[in-house]
Amino acid sequence: MPHLLYNARLVCPERGIQEQGWLVTDNGLIEATSFDHDSFDDSITDRTDCAGQIVGPGFVDMRVQSGYPGSEHLETLESLLTAAASQGITSLAVLPNTEPVIDNAAIIDSLMLRAGGYGLSQLYCYGAMSRGLEGEQMAELGMMSKAGAVGFANSDISIPDAQTMRRIMTYAKMFNRPVIHHCAEASLTADTDMNEGETATRLGLIGQPAAAETLILQRDIALAEMTGAHYHAAHISAAASVAVIRDAKARGVNITADTAPPYFMLNEISVSGFDSSMKLTPPLRSEDDRLAIRDGLADGTIDAIASDHVPVDADQKTQPFSLASAGASALETLVPLSLTLVRSSHLTWQQFFQRLSAAPAHILGLQAGSVRAGMPADLVQINPDTAHIINPQHFVSLSRITPFAGLPCEGRVTGCWIGGEAKLSSGADKTGPA
Amino acid sequence: MTYSDPPPVKLRQRHFLGIQNLGADEMLALIDRSVYFAELISAERDDAPVAQTLSGVTVVNLFFENSTRTRVSFEVAAKRLGASVLNISVSGSSVKKGETLIDTATTLNAMHPDILVIRHHAAGAPHLLSRHVDAAVINAGDGRHEHPTQALLDAVTIKRVKGRIAGLKIAICGDIANSRVARSNLYLLGALGADVRFVSPATLLPADIDKLGVPVFTDLTQGIAGADIVMMLRLQKERMEGREIPSQHEYFNLFGLDKDKIERAAPEAVIMHPGPMNRGVEIDSSIADDHSRSLITQQVEMGVAARMACLEALRPSPDHKQQQEAR
Repeated sequence: MPHLLYNARLVCPERGIQEQGWLVTDNGLIEATSFDHDSFDDSITDRTDCAGQIVGPGFVDMRVQSGYPGSEHLETLESLLTAAASQGITSLAVLPNTEPVIDNAAIIDSLMLRAGGYGLSQLYCYGAMSRGLEGEQMAELGMMSKAGAVGFANSDISIPDAQTMRRIMTYAKMFNRPVIHHCAEASLTADTDMNEGETATRLGLIGQPAAAETLILQRDIALAEMTGAHYHAAHISAAASVAVIRDAKARGVNITADTAPPYFMLNEISVSGFDSSMKLTPPLRSEDDRLAIRDGLADGTIDAIASDHVPVDADQKTQPFSLASAGASALETLVPLSLTLVRSSHLTWQQFFQRLSAAPAHILGLQAGSVRAGMPADLVQINPDTAHIINPQHFVSLSRITPFAGLPCEGRVTGCWIGGEAKLSSGADKTGPA
Repeated sequence: MTYSDPPPVKLRQRHFLGIQNLGADEMLALIDRSVYFAELISAERDDAPVAQTLSGVTVVNLFFENSTRTRVSFEVAAKRLGASVLNISVSGSSVKKGETLIDTATTLNAMHPDILVIRHHAAGAPHLLSRHVDAAVINAGDGRHEHPTQALLDAVTIKRVKGRIAGLKIAICGDIANSRVARSNLYLLGALGADVRFVSPATLLPADIDKLGVPVFTDLTQGIAGADIVMMLRLQKERMEGREIPSQHEYFNLFGLDKDKIERAAPEAVIMHPGPMNRGVEIDSSIADDHSRSLITQQVEMGVAARMACLEALRPSPDHKQQQEAR
């Protein structure tokens, strides 16, 4: 049955349009879109009045750790997908560091089949670049690609050996899939607690220099230039990395990059109270780094914002800082934190949807990120004017550790459609718990 | 086609170091002479000499790398032409004792062989040897560089089955980076007008291979589409486990030739392989053993004929022989 969304401020990042308009979905697809005020089909009775709301393509979260399989006590597949849908994240790509590791086609088949059964957000998998994520032997990239792997990643372990990385890029290029890399020079990051600098020195914690990220990034760019592979730098945190990516893009290197909200929201000073929820990979950097990440997002050097969701439980965090696990629950803070960049005018609405939907969809080759007719009806509705305070106790995700507890935010997701089906009560504002 | 007696070939160079050192006329003459020998030896079932063009000639097989089939092939070829043969397998021992290739060459030179057949793991070893011995040197495979007699026997096999080489679409598939067979075949078949293409995982392609003027494919079904000849290369065991390619399993799935994939080749397509084969890695047994398509056994047979033509082409001139005997 056709469904009409009208009176919306409709944003299509793909076409750079942001106008008052309407949209009709049918059979799981967007059937028609109009940026014209008056001309919708009045015979459609199933309709949502989106007055005062922004409507755009559903978000694509390109960096998510799944608890399933292996760590269901931290996050089940259902809690993960429900949390995503509650935030208008209609597609997400999960990292291979599950147990067992996603390093063969059979695991991808089973994970996608299982996730599909929930009728929630579309789950995609990255295949591990190396067998068992050990960084040495190439995994079966071709077979995983056939099974639907949207890219190849090594989770939070960098490939130490340049020849191995070169072969992975050369090999991945045959299948037109991106190589998604966490950049960290192991000899500089081993046994470190946080960013290197004054704060680490004051706290007596062991620091890792931002150069640990930039070094591997520079090596990888040289390899990408040589092999012609599509290289994607994940969760970039350092100012020097942004500069290096900007240069590489200017030279025409096939490179894209993402970052996560902590790196444009926070800096290393947040660690001062030994608050282990601030312990992340990569670590929070200096204020200069934070500003450079924000500017890199504004000018498009950094293509995408990903949540970098890491399920961790309280036990893993209730430890002295240096012993605590790194990572935080992030699916349910991605959108409100990214909206701060719209508030502060660093991003327009179009750019916001570009970074959170169109760009990651493009990087991973997904049918998403657009409200063009014929696209899947994966849509999000946002009320930009409603305020709330981030409260992890209300997270749908089973993982409730976040550096942002108690932060007041403006704007929230009020509607989510996946394949045309409403996954949240839409239209009216959710006056959720504040 | 009749195989009237083509005359013995005389090469312009004293040594046979690679296909790259031959002119097209020499290639064609060697092929014709090989085809002639092939007819001759297939008529004679015993090992008796079929000609005496190498009577009184000493051939030394100097193998620094194990290769039973190539060594035996040269040995049989030499004997069929009346030569006497000496096999020297340079096991690790003298190499470990520190003897260099030049030391070995000097020692051998003192024995006055006429033709030295050398197989070595280092590219260019036959070339070095050729500058230090009086004998004519035949390259029986040097590292990743050339394997000219293999290319010749492949050409002879193709000529016999297809009647021509020019205009045939020939896909050479597998580990191109480490293959001397691929290189020699490209030079030979390409020079004779075949449309040669390479098919390989990108990680097993050497740098700038396209600059050799050969189309390159990283998808087997695309690469062999419409091919008249599908030549599969051996995948070395040490490359199978995750360095250049992920696994045997994936290699067979993507680059192994099986009944489904061969459907993309020309209807009369034939299969070749320089051997020894890894069944279930680069080739499925059902293909390798299908005698209507597989030329693999014929290749071995043609090996003797092709090597006869090559050895004969390097026979010492009577003057040279007299000089040597006078010494």
